[in-house]
Amino acid sequence: MVMIEVTGLTYYYPLSHTPALKEINLQIEAGQFVAVIGANGAGKSTLCLVLSGLIPTLFNGRMLGNVTINSMNTRNHTPGEFAGRVGLVLQNPTNQISEMRYTVFEEVAFGLENLGVSPSEMPERIEHVLRLTGLIDLRDRSPFTLSGGQRQRLALASMLVLDPPVLVLDEPTAMLDPQGSREVFHIIQTLTTKNTTVVITEHNLEWIAQTADRVIALNKGSIVLDGNPEFVLTSPLLETFGIDYLRYTQAARESQIYGLWPSQTPLPVTLEQSVLGFNRVSSIKKGGG
Amino acid sequence: MTLGLYTAGDSWLHRLFPITKLIFSLSAIAIIFGGPNKWLSAILPGVISILILWSAGIAWRALKLIVQLLTPIAVILFIVHGFFGPANHQILMRLGPFVLGQEGLMYASLIVVRLVSTLASSLLLVTSTHPGSLIQALEQTGLSRKLVYLLGSPLLLLPQMARRIQTIRSAQQSRGLETQGNLLQRIKALFPLVAPLVFSALVDVEERSLALEVRGFSAPTPKTNLTEIPDTTKQQVLRWGMIVIAVCFLVFEFWRKRNGYD
Ligand SMILES: Nc1ncnc2c1ncn2[C@@H]1O[C@H](COP(=O)(O)OP(=O)(O)OP(=O)(O)O)[C@@H](O)[C@H]1O
Ligand SMILES: [Mg+2]
Repeated sequence: MVMIEVTGLTYYYPLSHTPALKEINLQIEAGQFVAVIGANGAGKSTLCLVLSGLIPTLFNGRMLGNVTINSMNTRNHTPGEFAGRVGLVLQNPTNQISEMRYTVFEEVAFGLENLGVSPSEMPERIEHVLRLTGLIDLRDRSPFTLSGGQRQRLALASMLVLDPPVLVLDEPTAMLDPQGSREVFHIIQTLTTKNTTVVITEHNLEWIAQTADRVIALNKGSIVLDGNPEFVLTSPLLETFGIDYLRYTQAARESQIYGLWPSQTPLPVTLEQSVLGFNRVSSIKKGGG
Repeated sequence: MTLGLYTAGDSWLHRLFPITKLIFSLSAIAIIFGGPNKWLSAILPGVISILILWSAGIAWRALKLIVQLLTPIAVILFIVHGFFGPANHQILMRLGPFVLGQEGLMYASLIVVRLVSTLASSLLLVTSTHPGSLIQALEQTGLSRKLVYLLGSPLLLLPQMARRIQTIRSAQQSRGLETQGNLLQRIKALFPLVAPLVFSALVDVEERSLALEVRGFSAPTPKTNLTEIPDTTKQQVLRWGMIVIAVCFLVFEFWRKRNGYD
């Protein structure tokens, strides 16, 4: 089943003459885990706003083409109607605190209250996501006393509690240290088992290579590569779009020049693939020599 | 922890239904500026507010805030009206070419007393009520969430602004910009402070509204509440009482003025 469908999408921000997104066509299946990569300004955040139904309704820019989320055209439905059906986590966690609630627990409840969930159902759902995000011990703290990483997890918990079938995440680990990022990655990974459709922009290619079903590379507002992680992350074009290769891929690319990577083997994107490839070269060399 | 002006606590004042405190503040302000007998109307609400704050154990913080905020304004008012008040007639003192007039001084005093009273009665609400509780209480009264947010967001924006000013200030101090020194230096240093402040505030407002939207802030469904803030019949009666008193005072003053009693 197609969950998100984008046809002929071009988007101009107000007062801008160059489109932030250009002629995008895209279909995302329900349950698919899609990573969006690209250099700064490539249009990743804009795509996130489009895929969560906030553009065009909340923005005054000009949008051509159509976007449907779960068969609802984003031109005809307000963000309020998409709430609960599409989640969005932004980069800056502080701006995602409602400031209208007192404690972490109540903050997570805020979305449920807005969507009219029965109060008797709330505590269980809230406790579940607080446990999942490791915030359960902070439930009575004020959201403002949390660290950046804890706030980011709170932003994630506030979205997860709504249990949206589609979750869009725009650099959710940008403000986290490696440990914090790993925790958030782990939480997001649990979503894949729940058949949630996930779209994420993320700079950690290593994690993307391990987790994503599909990677989309953006360059100057256009989709330039779209396929499985092995295909996109090893593409010879990647560097022309200002995206760095994974260190494994880079090592193999450089070694290839000296014949130190087996010619028939695709470039690696994980540690395992890279170990396998280099092993094969050394055994060929040994066997041949 | 404090969020803006709110001081956490568990006094009877903290536990009052926020709307009761809101109505008190609004009635007090109406009387301060529109009640009969200027001086009494200006002083009494302030004194009552301070007494209430004192019984709740948060008077010192409120008084400190009042002094901090109003001292510069008071000094300016006294100078401007004391020396240059248009109604000055009775001369109290001569300072070189300047003359201190009694009428101007009295006028400035009245304004200052009114400001102190206004601030005290507002602080009664603000220092004892978490912005979130006030907002939730407003929601409970059945107002639309958008209207509530519109009313509440200045309250919410203030602490946010204060945090940001602090951040930008320390960033700029570390880059060697003056945030201390004489008045002129400080005013000059204000410009590089204001530009990023305004810009980042705009970006933030946009991002915040996006974040609220995806959490169903304007979802077309009826809202629920995790917990209800308790209200009581007594407080309801009290609220109506305060409204009636304020209206009576205003009507009485209006009637007095119309019939030329001043
Ligand atoms: N509110 C806005 N108004 C006008 N132009 C904007 C706005 N937001 C982004 N743009 C422009 O649109 C283009 C795409 O921006 P976008 O934020 O989507 O890029 P990004 O890939 O998310 O970049 P980054 O990696 O820096 O987050 C950029 O050229 C940017 O300057
Ligand atoms: Mg971005």
